Amino acid sequence: MSGAFKFTIDGATGIGTILFDYPGERINKLTFEVMDELETLIDKIGSDSSLKAVTLISAKKDIFIAGADINEIASINSSEDGKKKALLGQRIITKFSKLPLPTVAVINGACLGGGLELSLAFDYRIATDNPKTSIGLPEVNLGIIPGFGGTQRLPRLIGLEKALTMILTGRPVDGKKAYRYRLVDALIPKEFLHEKVNEFISVILQPNGAEQIKKQRNKATLQSIVLEKNPIGKAVLFNLSKKNVVAKTKQFYPAPLKAVDVIKKTHAMPLDQGLQIEADEFSKLVITDTCRNLINLFFIREKLKKDSGTREPVAIKDIANVGVLGAGVMGGAIAWLFTKSFISTRIKDLNWDAIRKGYETAAKIYKQLKKLRKFDDREINLRMHKLSATVDYSGFEKIDLVIEAVVEDLNVKQSVFSDLENRIPSSAIIASNTSTLSITEMSKRLKNPERFIGMHFFNPVNRMPLVEVIPGDKTSPKTIATIMELTKRLGKTPVLVKSCPGFLVNRLLLPYLNEAFYLLQVGVDPVRVDSIITRFGMPMGPFALADEVGIDIGYKAAKILEESYGKRMKMVDIFVDISNDKSLLGKKSGKGIYQYSGKDKEINPEIASLVSKYSGESQSLGINVSDNEILERLMLIMVNEASRCMQEEIVSCPEYLDMAMIMGTGFPPFRGGLLRYADSFGISKIVDVLKGFETVSKDRFQPCDYLNKMKDEQLKFYSS
Amino acid sequence: MKNRIAIVDGIRTPQCKAGGIFKDISADDLGAYCVKELLTKLNLPVNEIDELIFGNVSQPMNKANIARVIALKSGLPNSIPAYTVHRNCASGAESVTTAAAKINAGEANIFVTGGTESMSNIPLMFSKKMEVFFAKLMRSKSIGQKLNTLLSFRPKDLQPVIGIVEGLTDPICGLIMGKTAEVLAREFQINRAEQDDFALLSHKRAVNAQEAEVFDKEILPLPMPPAYKSIQSADDGPRKDQSLHALKKLRPYFDRHNGTVTVGNSCPLSDGAAALVVMSEENARNLGYDPLGYLIDYAYAGLEPNRMGLGPVYATAKLLKNSKINFNDIDLIELNEAFAAQVIANERAFASNDFAQTYLGRSQKIGDIDRNKLNVNGGAIALGHPVGTTGARLILTLLKELRRQNKQLGLATMCIGGGQGGAMLVEVDS
Repeated sequence: MSGAFKFTIDGATGIGTILFDYPGERINKLTFEVMDELETLIDKIGSDSSLKAVTLISAKKDIFIAGADINEIASINSSEDGKKKALLGQRIITKFSKLPLPTVAVINGACLGGGLELSLAFDYRIATDNPKTSIGLPEVNLGIIPGFGGTQRLPRLIGLEKALTMILTGRPVDGKKAYRYRLVDALIPKEFLHEKVNEFISVILQPNGAEQIKKQRNKATLQSIVLEKNPIGKAVLFNLSKKNVVAKTKQFYPAPLKAVDVIKKTHAMPLDQGLQIEADEFSKLVITDTCRNLINLFFIREKLKKDSGTREPVAIKDIANVGVLGAGVMGGAIAWLFTKSFISTRIKDLNWDAIRKGYETAAKIYKQLKKLRKFDDREINLRMHKLSATVDYSGFEKIDLVIEAVVEDLNVKQSVFSDLENRIPSSAIIASNTSTLSITEMSKRLKNPERFIGMHFFNPVNRMPLVEVIPGDKTSPKTIATIMELTKRLGKTPVLVKSCPGFLVNRLLLPYLNEAFYLLQVGVDPVRVDSIITRFGMPMGPFALADEVGIDIGYKAAKILEESYGKRMKMVDIFVDISNDKSLLGKKSGKGIYQYSGKDKEINPEIASLVSKYSGESQSLGINVSDNEILERLMLIMVNEASRCMQEEIVSCPEYLDMAMIMGTGFPPFRGGLLRYADSFGISKIVDVLKGFETVSKDRFQPCDYLNKMKDEQLKFYSS
Repeated sequence: MKNRIAIVDGIRTPQCKAGGIFKDISADDLGAYCVKELLTKLNLPVNEIDELIFGNVSQPMNKANIARVIALKSGLPNSIPAYTVHRNCASGAESVTTAAAKINAGEANIFVTGGTESMSNIPLMFSKKMEVFFAKLMRSKSIGQKLNTLLSFRPKDLQPVIGIVEGLTDPICGLIMGKTAEVLAREFQINRAEQDDFALLSHKRAVNAQEAEVFDKEILPLPMPPAYKSIQSADDGPRKDQSLHALKKLRPYFDRHNGTVTVGNSCPLSDGAAALVVMSEENARNLGYDPLGYLIDYAYAGLEPNRMGLGPVYATAKLLKNSKINFNDIDLIELNEAFAAQVIANERAFASNDFAQTYLGRSQKIGDIDRNKLNVNGGAIALGHPVGTTGARLILTLLKELRRQNKQLGLATMCIGGGQGGAMLVEVDS
């Protein structure tokens, strides 16, 4: 391939234009082939003395340069290879900065990663105020640091504090903010792009014009004088940055910390030395498991975005009016989600007080978002106007989709559905937000089950990105594709899951929670369990999670799973005891495993006395369980169940299972997901460890056939 | 009127005392709740709607042409135009009659109409002196000038101009509305006891209607923003414990010395909205609706601003003059209760040959108003009077009551600040 760049010269003005138009794709990216071509072009420009200035412009809509080619990053197989590639990129990009004539990067659209690093080597940058213009260095999200000079040129251009924020968070800035940072030297409307670029160039070509523009950059402010222009301030700044990173990543992600180190070490060095160190550190990070896992997750996300849920493309139904049955916590939050996307949403519940709670839930979420400055009062008001309610199904005559969020009881749901079916258009989709009940079972009494589907949101809806989409036996492809598409429109990630009790996430998570209570019953300290699990990287331990979800909710789900899967999911006695005590509902009732006062929590003494009922004198038993055993029992019981799911094809590939666990339970992304973790643990070792646990309980730990077979055939979940 | 106009259905919010339960909800929000719910209930294809016309008296500064704001907030597409009408206390009725006129003129077919008012949100304003001070300060450039301007400040200039008082004071006769009621009390020699009796009747009827769930058919329960900690599903004005004893204790409000009008025998300031969908009868039939009722005729009349309370008698006389309807054929009357004195004055004027001859150019009185037909579910004294809403609310309540009682003909009439009256004849198909 070649011909990503078209170079033209305006004979009248002597201004050269490099037009970047990556062939055959919607975006521009910096592959090594592109870099090669670019180098030839730079040499040509450098030797043309008739040129007065050069600009780089993208031919793509809303994209300047999306970044380096992630496939190429993923293919780096050794540290040496990584360093070689970083240095190569740095060398070509640096060549731009050495051109004897003024160079201008014209950024209209996304300018990320390598794209920004290239732009930073230009003498000037101009951005448009196009809402799609976003400029940043998101490398840390992939477990690496910028490797084409980003850690060097950005701090030198905009100052340490702003550069650290941009690099450590990976969060891009829009054109307006980029101009405020003077990351770009001008902010222009895209409608007058060429006119404004020419104006800008005529300014820089005037005597003193260049100086005047450069004088605007990185001006000293009080803050920068305090934090950046003296050694004490700098020490404070780097310390603070490090502290923030540690607080945010709990040290599971090495890249941002490395970025702080590199910038701290190099910011005062000559540029070429700094670039060497950057390349060095980049090459060490790029081969870590964390980096590989994060890159894989990036690819899975891309794959999920394209997954329509059906093999053949089908016409999807337009969803303009949504009904939500049940105004409980889930119903209210689901209603909120639809209003957020300006979809008209009508709540139906038995009485107005129940409905009020739905409104309250929605308003609470908006209030949080207002605090975070995501929405202002006007934006919230307009969205709340999308919400209406009824106690008698009025207005359901023109509904396109009904989401059922009533109590988890098959009989109740079935009777709700048969009532509902006659009140909505025959083309309307009915989706159940059940978390455990079988979709096929639920749809049995429906007149047309092809419009019925499971749409399982996770609690809290506003924070959990996952939606399990569960077709029943008879669900039509149109219904599936519509719900997949709608879920994406709502900003959530749909994962298609085959109908089975608990679907995917709860089916894996409940045995893990149950196992935690088995450990509790023999006297293992719940605080210890929770801390082992958070050290593993889960956002919270199983006991904190049980309290968060609500013991009653957990019990209902566990009960259904026990009935469906039998002995291996038999609820542990102590959990049944706890759920029988209606004052122990978890966080919502002020106490569960922990007791809560304000933001503090401590172990609920009532639990300790329950434990002593079981372990009696032998409380010390719990102390004999090692940290390792705790972790392995909890994780491998999930792996075992996940293997069964793979065997039953509950999801279509290990990637989806891993993504569902990450988005549905917060399974640590740096581990790449549950099955990725299993692969790195070793299948054969997993089988052996599980067998070892058979002395604890054969029912729960006997390795499933799928795992045994994988061991025999020396297979892994992932082929690569 | 050429053809009768179908009033397909209507809905309203509860009416709540200003400064109370609805104080944090703006008038456009109240209106939008009604419109959205009404259109949803009617399952009316929004693209069929020609226009939205809404009445509102005190338009919020930041919602000029509040009707357009209501249209968009309620989910009407951008393509459907909207405008606001203002005829003081009859603004809600004006929206309906304007739509009727347009339909009969053949200009359009389907309208969303109604009225909304948040008297809680009528602002306090700076005085003219303060305005001048601010303007001068902004023009002052040098420190000396600025100091000079600052020194011209007088604390008493900070005294606010109360928007609601300004709005309720007639700019021609200079009387606040309550004083115009005092004028009528004197003209018709209506004493305090008669007024208090009537006020008590209003409360009793309203409370009875609430207990019989009469209003449930027209009220949209509102989950209360911003926190949604409660639901408001009833008007908060009617007092179960209202008594003559309590009414008697109140001091005259507008004329401390010789007055008879008190806050107890006047309507309170209120917040609330109502919406109605109106269309030609043919359109209603084509869309498969069984309309709540029909507007068959209407009239507006003018009179002296200081006697504005007599508007109903003037407007009704004008209406009947061009109509074949006989006053005694009317089954139910909603006569807006701005003040008890004003309602009683109308009763007397309706029943007076002398008044008819002197003021109405009729040889005979219009007719005696039977109190068993008048405001049978109470009126504004108990239910409240959100000024821009009331006209629409009267039509809605009247039609629902006609249906409930299986009767046909109704008159909704009201006095209008500034010296006008409005009257609307409606009917329900038997």
